[in-house]
This record gives sequence, structure tokens and C-alpha cells, in this order.
Amino acid sequence: MVDITLNQNSKLGSIDRPNSYIGRSLTRDGAIRHLEGGGKFVDDLILPRMVNSAFLRSPYAHAEIKSINISDAQKYPGVIDIFLSEHIDTVCKPWIGVLSHLGEMRSPEQSPLAKKIARWQGEAIAIVIANTRAQAEDAIEAIEVDWVEKEPQINMETALDKDTVVIHKELGNNLFWTRTVEQGDVKKAFKESSTIVEATLDFARHTGVTLETRGIVADWDKSEKKMSIYHNGQAPHMMQHIIAKHFDISEGLVRVISKDVGGSFGIKVHVYGDEMAAIAASKILGRPVKFVADRLESFTTDIHARCHKISGKLGVDKNGKFLSMEINDLSGIGPYSMYPRTSAIETNQVLNLSGSPYIIPNYKAVGTVVFQNKTPMCQYRAVGHPIAVAITEVLVDKAAKKIGMKVEDIRKINFIPDDQYPNKTPSGVPLEDLSHQATMNKLLKIMNVPDLEKQKKLDLEKGILTGIGIISMCEVTNPSPLFYGVGGAHISSQDGASIRLEGSGAVHVSSSITEQGQGTEAIMKQIAADQLGVSMDTIRLTLGDTDATPYGGGTWASRGAGIGGEAVLKAARTLKNNILKIASAIMQTDIDTIDIANNSVIRKNGGEGISLKKLAETVYYRGHEIPQGTNPELIATSSFYIEGIPFVFTNSAMGCQVTVDQDTGLIKINKFWVIEDCGTQINPKLVEEQIRGGVIQGIGGALYEECVYDDQGNMQNATMADYLVPMACEMPDIIVDHVITNSGRSILGAKGAGEAGTGGAPAVIMNAINDALSSMNKEVTSQPITPEKILKAIGKI
Amino acid sequence: MGKGGEEFIMKSPDFCYYEALSIEDAIKFKSNDLESVILAGGQSLVPALNMRLSSPSCLIDISKIKELKNITKDNDFIYIGSAVTHSEVMQNKIIIDHLPVLIDVLDMVAHPAIRNKGTHGGSIAYGDPAAELPAFAVAANAEIILMGLNGIRTIQASDFYHGLFETDIQNDEILTSIKYPILKDNQKILFDEIYRRHGDYAMAGVVANIEILNNEINNLKLVFFATGTKPEVALKTSELIIKDGYDYSNVKNMIKTELDFESDLNSNAEMKLHLATILTNKILKLMET
Amino acid sequence: MQGSKNITINFIINDEIFNNITVPVRQHLGDFLRSIGLTGTHIGCEQGACGACTVELDGKAVRSCLILSSQINGSVIKTVEGLDDTLMKKVKEIFLKHNALQCGFCSSGMLITTKEILNKKKKLNREQIRTEISGNYCRCTGYQSIVDAIEEAIEDNIKDI
Ligand SMILES: Cc1cc2nc3c(=O)[nH]c(=O)nc-3n(C[C@H](O)[C@H](O)[C@H](O)COP(=O)(O)OP(=O)(O)OC[C@H]3O[C@@H](n4cnc5c(N)ncnc54)[C@H](O)[C@@H]3O)c2cc1C
Repeated sequence: MVDITLNQNSKLGSIDRPNSYIGRSLTRDGAIRHLEGGGKFVDDLILPRMVNSAFLRSPYAHAEIKSINISDAQKYPGVIDIFLSEHIDTVCKPWIGVLSHLGEMRSPEQSPLAKKIARWQGEAIAIVIANTRAQAEDAIEAIEVDWVEKEPQINMETALDKDTVVIHKELGNNLFWTRTVEQGDVKKAFKESSTIVEATLDFARHTGVTLETRGIVADWDKSEKKMSIYHNGQAPHMMQHIIAKHFDISEGLVRVISKDVGGSFGIKVHVYGDEMAAIAASKILGRPVKFVADRLESFTTDIHARCHKISGKLGVDKNGKFLSMEINDLSGIGPYSMYPRTSAIETNQVLNLSGSPYIIPNYKAVGTVVFQNKTPMCQYRAVGHPIAVAITEVLVDKAAKKIGMKVEDIRKINFIPDDQYPNKTPSGVPLEDLSHQATMNKLLKIMNVPDLEKQKKLDLEKGILTGIGIISMCEVTNPSPLFYGVGGAHISSQDGASIRLEGSGAVHVSSSITEQGQGTEAIMKQIAADQLGVSMDTIRLTLGDTDATPYGGGTWASRGAGIGGEAVLKAARTLKNNILKIASAIMQTDIDTIDIANNSVIRKNGGEGISLKKLAETVYYRGHEIPQGTNPELIATSSFYIEGIPFVFTNSAMGCQVTVDQDTGLIKINKFWVIEDCGTQINPKLVEEQIRGGVIQGIGGALYEECVYDDQGNMQNATMADYLVPMACEMPDIIVDHVITNSGRSILGAKGAGEAGTGGAPAVIMNAINDALSSMNKEVTSQPITPEKILKAIGKI
Repeated sequence: MGKGGEEFIMKSPDFCYYEALSIEDAIKFKSNDLESVILAGGQSLVPALNMRLSSPSCLIDISKIKELKNITKDNDFIYIGSAVTHSEVMQNKIIIDHLPVLIDVLDMVAHPAIRNKGTHGGSIAYGDPAAELPAFAVAANAEIILMGLNGIRTIQASDFYHGLFETDIQNDEILTSIKYPILKDNQKILFDEIYRRHGDYAMAGVVANIEILNNEINNLKLVFFATGTKPEVALKTSELIIKDGYDYSNVKNMIKTELDFESDLNSNAEMKLHLATILTNKILKLMET
Repeated sequence: MQGSKNITINFIINDEIFNNITVPVRQHLGDFLRSIGLTGTHIGCEQGACGACTVELDGKAVRSCLILSSQINGSVIKTVEGLDDTLMKKVKEIFLKHNALQCGFCSSGMLITTKEILNKKKKLNREQIRTEISGNYCRCTGYQSIVDAIEEAIEDNIKDI
């Protein structure tokens, strides 16, 4: 693809200066440790006196625990102790997964281990502490539980029916949350519409399947009353706060360390009962306790996502202008709302985001979220986007086909024009700096739609069903305090960065953003080196340690570059200014006459400069040589959060070409294109790799992935052999190109890029498949789109 | 996972290990300890142990017994020792020259790293209904050679499979080799399967043994896998095709009468019936090329 | 004739000779390697499906989660920590260049698999490369950059002969 090695943002300085790194696809050198086998993952850690753990988990979706007998199990070799809810609760306070700013949410208290009633298959009941994991598992087999099975509430569609089992009696019914958004007069606008199209789409549950499963080592040090947590999470400071709060430990005495994380995608940003139980066990035993989920536990206890049924309606006038849109979304979230983000946000995003690329003056969206006896559901990569984008783009295609317009043309006439921002989504959420027209135009050009159409015709003559799909979408990135903070959750929307010049001339950067492989280390180094005027190899970085980095939100909602990166930029500029002030004093020259480049303070019009090493040495060891009253600070710390709007949106356009095999129902994705606008690209290669990885995850949801449950709430395919993740053979190469519209909310101008692929791919694949089926007048409406569903749709089975 | 009542466990139970020095040694051990099981490549057994789906007293490792690791040929037959790995079969000169279709079949079995350990005999002995090799052995009219306390016996592959993971192997017996008849000049084995991801067990698959006489099918044996509880021969369907050629509805109806379809997580019975029908057509088309 | 639950064996890992090491027979090789500090081999599914734990055993790529440590008596093992010959050093550089990894959890398995591909000294097209790595799960990259890297590594490796 076009190699954008050029810095597109004039606020960042000229691109031909030395150490101009922002905008270049530099190699992620730090990643070499993984290729040498030197990554530091939680399960790699062995501490003195550390013990392992395993959980007895509910084999039933809904069952009462009449009694538990652990006495035999306790005698097993290697077993140190076994704890039930009543023991764990003595050190850990329960939590409730609700927020206050989105209307009433109702979810009961939750403790680390289930008490009396288990509410999903896989819910932790007892934690066995033993020398090895295998020994802990041996003991689990010897725990005797007297279970009384209860009727499970599985189906979200009947969750609110009168005679349905109520999971939490005290709530009266199975409703967790509901919200209605209304703009304009939908009823009237539908009446005025010359054409109305409707669709109902289903999205199965799927899950994150991070290759590294969830893991934690909790180390309670009685002598210092300090809890050290090694955790493969995404938000160390959030965990610090939560652990302090629920374990009654002074927050300053909780240290959370999150080094290498083997994929997270939102799975690892929530509070899980089993992890809390491991922390509790450490606090009770006064020794380090490790818990690393195995794959079975991962499938049944990592949060699931999606699980939506959405119906929508779009009204257009005779020219194809959108007048009115209405959606109704139902989602099932398992028996509890997750803590602390709640399980309402996916639905909330569906309500916020549907229709977002377009001007739709009248809009109504209703969301209903209900409880089920299944694994809890919560935020996973591209929260809500696949549903919102699919319902919108499916309806748009339908409208185009019904009134005989080209699918690209109907989009073009309804986009919010690129020159009309700031603007709002149909739901009323503020939008700025977007480029749907430019991205779509670029997409259509590189796809070469006329050629694709020709090929489609030729294929059809040979009996081959080929289809083309396009979509446009907005992606939520860089959330502001208006996202969680306003609702009472202690989730920082601010991120901090600290940069110091050391005596050796080395520059040390620390940031509250963590690394999950997306390239945080690389981009933070690029920003710092670029803004400071030093070479990349002078920079060292500390991430993921609450004792060592500034406070901040961490890595989620595609916020690392835009928020954490801006903090690094600001800190670098402050430090640069400090350095220049010191240098001007030492060099006896005006600050305007000097600059930093190639690790030295230089005189702009030539002449001898001073290396940063020498300058640092002077400050640290020979301060007496510096004029008195000079500020000697060679360290600067900055913070940043988004002000004034809830999110910094990005946009992208995607296209794909698929072939549907009429005999087998198999789908082949031949080609896939993405045009992405994430503002300033700090490292274009890394942006593209986020897009690609995201698209493949989106393809997973669209075609393969599903947590299959039987009618008793047992997950049927909780292994990597049976749950189908995308593997290399079936995946396409993805062409990525860019449009760049900088965000006006920061100097850096970067937005996020991590989730668009996952958010958009399901919609564009569905549109392409339905385009392929259109010659037979058939369609599919349920994801994953399996061969079976295709064959059913076309009447072959 | 599945029904309630199972544990969430991924570490093997405790068992002991015995490395057999010879076939006789292994047989002796096995007949002395009825709770012990044979360990060949471990590519099916160890995953099952990791999930504690079984808890044997002891594993008898036969993977290092030399006599089980040969591929030989005489005038009429090829013998594949049970402990020969899939990868070794694929690289073997005798197989390349005389039974190349087996290489195409093995290409669909799992992934290279699993084929480097998984054995021919292990796959045949395990009898996974979705596995390729059992169906291949049945289609190729192979004989299974077993050795036990009473010596050697031979059984037709088609008689070897009784039901879901049930075979004719007796408690004291070990599968020592598989005997494949060398194909005649006018004979072909063709194979196809439908899968969602390369290397996965198929949604449905077929192996066909075809004899051509004067440009016509003289003899046809269709063996389906990943459709029911074991590889199944579709005799009447073969006859129908020889007589009338392929017609979707006729073939589907016939297959339905003679095969027992069982849904699995990959596809339901209805889908499998459809795919079996489609596969029959694919095989006939392959034959023409 | 008797089996045992612990077994004392000899083997070589990354050129280091281990003599008279006693291992619990039920422990799989992946767990064993990690227990002696070779944590570059990662455990992803313990069913052979994800490929993260792939190591080289007697010259062949295998799943370390599906081999019991008791089975490695007399064997030569290579793990990601031992890939320091010229060829694999080059391969690592190529992986970095293409950003053929994100979180790094699949990388050791991918590298061992790549080593086996390169051992064949055969030119493969992208589709064939995808088939060769079809048993190695990567959740982050979407595979394209890995295929790019292996493609270049193959070119490079063939060019040298
Ligand atoms: C991820 C994955 C994907 C796979 N995909 C496929 C696939 O697509 N198709 C396919 O066919 N297979 C597949 N397999 C299975 C693989 O082919 C195995 O190699 C094969 O099923 C068993 O061979 P083994 O040598 O590993 O047997 P083992 O696992 O050692 O043994 C399997 C069973 O057979 C018994 N046994 C083994 N050898 C003998 C013998 N000589 N005499 C008596 N009993 C014996 C054992 O006691 C055990 O009960 C897959 C495996 C994995 C892990």
C-alpha cells in the first residue's frame, strides 16, 4: 500500500528535520524479546513460596449448592487449603456492576465465589490451593457437592415472559437495563417516506480467545501490608483501585504490574471472580498465589460478547434520501452485569452508533438487556459496532436495491459531508473531523467496482455466486470522562506520561498505557524521540506498573495513541523546554537561537552546541557551573484527557468480494479493502496491522465464531478444536489505505485505529454475501454465517 | 464439555508410563494390566488425558518399537507399520510410487506438527468417525493386522469398526500393521471432503474405490466418514450410480436409506446427508479428470 | 515389568545436556520446559489445536502439550530460546521487519513452524505458506504479515543455496 512515511500534521514540526519519527513505519524493535523467547508473561513468573490454584466450577447453568464437602480433598497430596465463598468473603467485599449516568441498571451483588446458587456453567465455587496445578485439579475431583439443578433461563427472547424463571428473585424479573433514544419524529417521518425497508439480524455470542489465557499472581506481603499483583490486564490503575477498595488495603499499598500481555481485546479489562478469589487466597495465606485459566475456563468464564437480536427500519424518500431510522435491540448478558464497566455498554453503543455516517433527521432506538444463565457478557473489541454497523449498512443496501439505486450512490447522497463537521450522529452524539466521502471515494477507486461487477456477471453465467459489499462506519475511540467517569466508575479517562533525561544522556519514558502487542512501546518512543530531538536508541520505556508509571486509564477503547500519546508529546515538549532553558543559561545564548537535534542542543545558526549527555552531567554532577536560579528539572510529567466531547470518532470504508459455494454453503473471501482515517498516523505500518488483525477478528464473528449452548445452558464447544477461530488458510490478504483527517482535540491529532476492522467486517461480509445471493432473491441475516445457514437460505437443505 | 457434571480440568490425571521394548513386551504388559492403554503418537490420547476424559493406570508407549515402524511391499500388498507417523508415510518412497492418493488424504489430516507424531495405526485404532484414515482403509479393502496373546490375526477393515470409537481390538491386542492391496491398473482411489478450516475434522467426507472397464465404472465402493458413528460403505448408492449415473435427488434418497447420519458440532445430520450427496458428485467429476 | 509415575531420563535441550533428570510422567513436555525456566514456549490450549507450544523434537516440529515429558528420553529438543543459528537469526530479523507478531504469544510456535518450512528448502506460494501454518493460531496479526515474513524467509533461504 501507499507508504505514508510523511508526517501529515503541521503542528508537529517539519518532516525533514532530524529525528522526525512520527509518521514513519519504523520497526518495533522491542518485539525482538518475543522472538528470543524472552517475553514476560504472567504464567512465566515463579516467586518464592508461590502456590498454584484451580477452581471447582459449576457444571450446571443454574443449580443450588445444597452442601459442599471438602474434607477428603483437603487431604490430597500437595493441597494447601481449599476456600469456599464464606472464607473468601472475610477478606473481599462484594461488588455491583452498575453505572449511574445511563438510567437505572439493576444487577445484584457479586462475590468472588458463588454462594448457594450457581448461575452459569463455569462459575467458580471453590478455590483449591496446591503446590502444582495438577495437584489442585486432583483435589477438585475429590470435592463432593450436592447439587440441586434448577431450571435455567437461557433464551433472551423469552427472558421477560411471565412464566420465565427469574434468575434474581429480588429483582422481580430478568431485566437488567433498557434505554430509548429518540430524535425528531420517527412516526411522522416514516409516514412521509416513499420506501421503507426492514431487517432483523441475529448475532451469536462469541468471545475473545486471547491466545494467552487470563492470569494473575497475587503476592500479599504481611510485613509491609502490601499487595503486589502481576496481572495480564489492560488497566493496571483501575485494578489497583478496585483491589484496594474490595480488599480494604490502602490504595498506595497495592501495586499492579502488567508486563507482556498475550492479547486482550477487551477480555482482560474486567473484574473476574476467580482472579479476586486468588487475591483473597494470597491475603489469607500470606504467600503468592498463581491462577492461570486453562482453555476450558477461558471459554466458559472470559466475558462473551455480542448476543444480540436487532430489528431495524429505514425510511427513504424517492430520491433515496434517508428520512427516518428505527431500531430495536435485544441482548442477553448472562446472570450478572460485569464490574466495573457494566454489561450495558454494548447495547448503548448500538443505540448511539446506528446510522452514524449519515444524515438521518428522525431516529429512534430502543435497547433491552436481559439476564440469562450463561457466561457473563461484556465489552470486547469494537463494542457494539458490528451490530450497529451491520443493521445500518444492511438497511442501506436494501433501500438502494429497492429503489433501484447503486449501493455506493445512496451512501454518497446521505453521508454527512466531509466539510460539515462538527456534526452529530442520528442519535445525537457529537461528531467531528470525519471523512466518509473521501474514504468511500478512495475505496471505490481502489476496488475498481466496475471490474468487479463485470466479473460477477461472468461468474454468474458460469453458475458461480460472487458478491460485492461495501460499507461506511464510525468507530468510537479516545473516550472522554463523559464515558465512564461521569457514571461513577473509577476508570481514568486521563493518561499520564513522564520523561526524564538521565545522566548518561539516555531518555526514560513512562506511560500509563500498557502494551498488548499493538505497538504502544514503539509509538511512545517515536513520539518522545521526535518531539525531543533525540535518536530512537536513546529511549527506554516503562509501562504497566502502578509503582513506576504515571496514573492513567490503560489500554482500551482505542485510546493509547490518541490520549496516552498526547501525554507523551506534552511531556516531551515540556522537558525540551526545560533542557533548552538550562542550555541557554550554560551556553549564554537566547533560547530562541537553540534547538535539540540528534541528542544535542544545537545552535540554529551553527557553532558549537552541547550534547544532552554533557548537559545532563553538568546538571547532575556539576550544578555549580550553571548560573544560579536556573531550573534544573530534567524530568517532565504531563497528563491528557479529551475535553468537551464524549469520544473522538474515526471513520472507515470497507469493501470485499466473496464467492458463495452453492453446493457446500462455504464462503470464500477473495478480496478485502479498508480505507481508514485515524488522523495522524504515528506509525502507519502499525495502524495497518491493527486494521488487518481487527478485520480478521471481524471475519471470525461474521463466519466462524459462536459459543454454542444447548437448551440447558451447557456450552458445547468450549475447546479450541470445536470453537472455530480464524486460521491462516481461510483468511484473505487485506489491502489497507488511508485518508488522514487530524483530530482537532490534540496537538498530535491522532485518533484510534484498533477496533474499526472488527466493527466493520461483519457488515461488509454480510452485504457481500447477500449481494451474491441476490440473483436468487435470497438473503442471510444471522451471524456467524455458516455453510448450513447459507444452504438453508437458498433452499438446499 | 457437554453435559453437566464434568470438571473444568486440563492437566492429566496421575498414571504411570512404560516404554515397551517389543510387541510381545507390550502385549504382555497390556494383558497384565487391563486398565493400561497403548500410547502411540499421543495426538488423540494426550488431549483426552489432558481433559481427564479417561484415567488409565498406565500408558504403554509403543512408539519406539522398531518392528512397528516399517513400510514394506511385496507383489500384491503394502504394509504400513502401526507406529509409522503420518509424516513418514507421506515421505515414503513406496507410498509415493504405489499409493500416492494416501498422501493427498494425509494432507487433510490435522497439521504438520501433529502429523509428525500421530501414527497410522493410532488413527486406525482410535476410529474417530470423522477421521480420514479409517474410511480410507475400508475403501482400500485394507486388512488390519492385530497381535495378541494368541498370536496374529487379520481382519477386514470394514469388519473392524463396530460403532462410535468401538473397534474389534481385544484387550490383549495391539494393532501391528495395515495391509493395503496394491491397486490394479484400472483401479483408482479418489477422495474428497468438505471442511470449514483446513486441517479440521471434516463436515463430511468420502473415499471411493473405483474400477474402470471400457471407460465405464465396473466397480464402485463409496465409503463416507464424518457422517455417522463409523466409516460407512454405501453399497446401494454405488450400484445406483453404476446403473443410472448421478442425480441429486435419487442419490440423496438412496444414501439416506443406507447410512445413519449423526449430527455433530460441525454440521447436523441433514447437512451431512446433503454434503454426502454433493461429495458423491464431486467424486464422479474427479473421476472424469 | 512395571511402569512408574516418575521417570529418570536423559535428553538435550538447546545444546545443553541433561542427564538423570527425574520427571513426573504425567507432565506434558510444554509444562516441563516451562518448569525449567524455558518459558518462551507458551501453552495455549493443551489440545494441540493452537500451535503456541510447538517445539522441535529430534528435528521435527511437534506440539509440546501432546507429548509427555517421559517420552523424551534420548531426544534432542530445540525451543525458541535455542534458535540462534544464522538462518534463524535472519528469520527473526525478517519477522521484525514485517511486524509478523503483535503480542508475541504465538511467536515461538510460529518460528519453530517456520524453521520446519525452511528445512524443506522448497519454494512455496502464499497459499501454501498459509496451509503450512494452518495449525498455528494468531489472534492479533490476521496472519498476513506472518505470511509476508515467511515468504521472504523462504526466498532468502533458497537464494543462499
Ligand atoms: C488438533 C488436532 C487435529 C487433528 N485433526 C485430525 C484430522 O483432521 N483427521 C484425523 O484423522 N485426525 C486428526 N487428528 C488426530 C491425529 O490424526 C492422530 O494422530 C490420530 O488420531 C491418532 O494417532 P496417534 O498415533 O496419535 O494415537 P494415540 O493418540 O497415541 O492413540 C489413540 C488411541 O488409539 C490407541 N492405539 C494407538 N495405537 C494403537 C495400536 N497400535 N494398537 C492398539 N491401540 C492403539 C490408543 O490406546 C488410544 O486409545 C488431529 C489431532 C489433533 C491434536
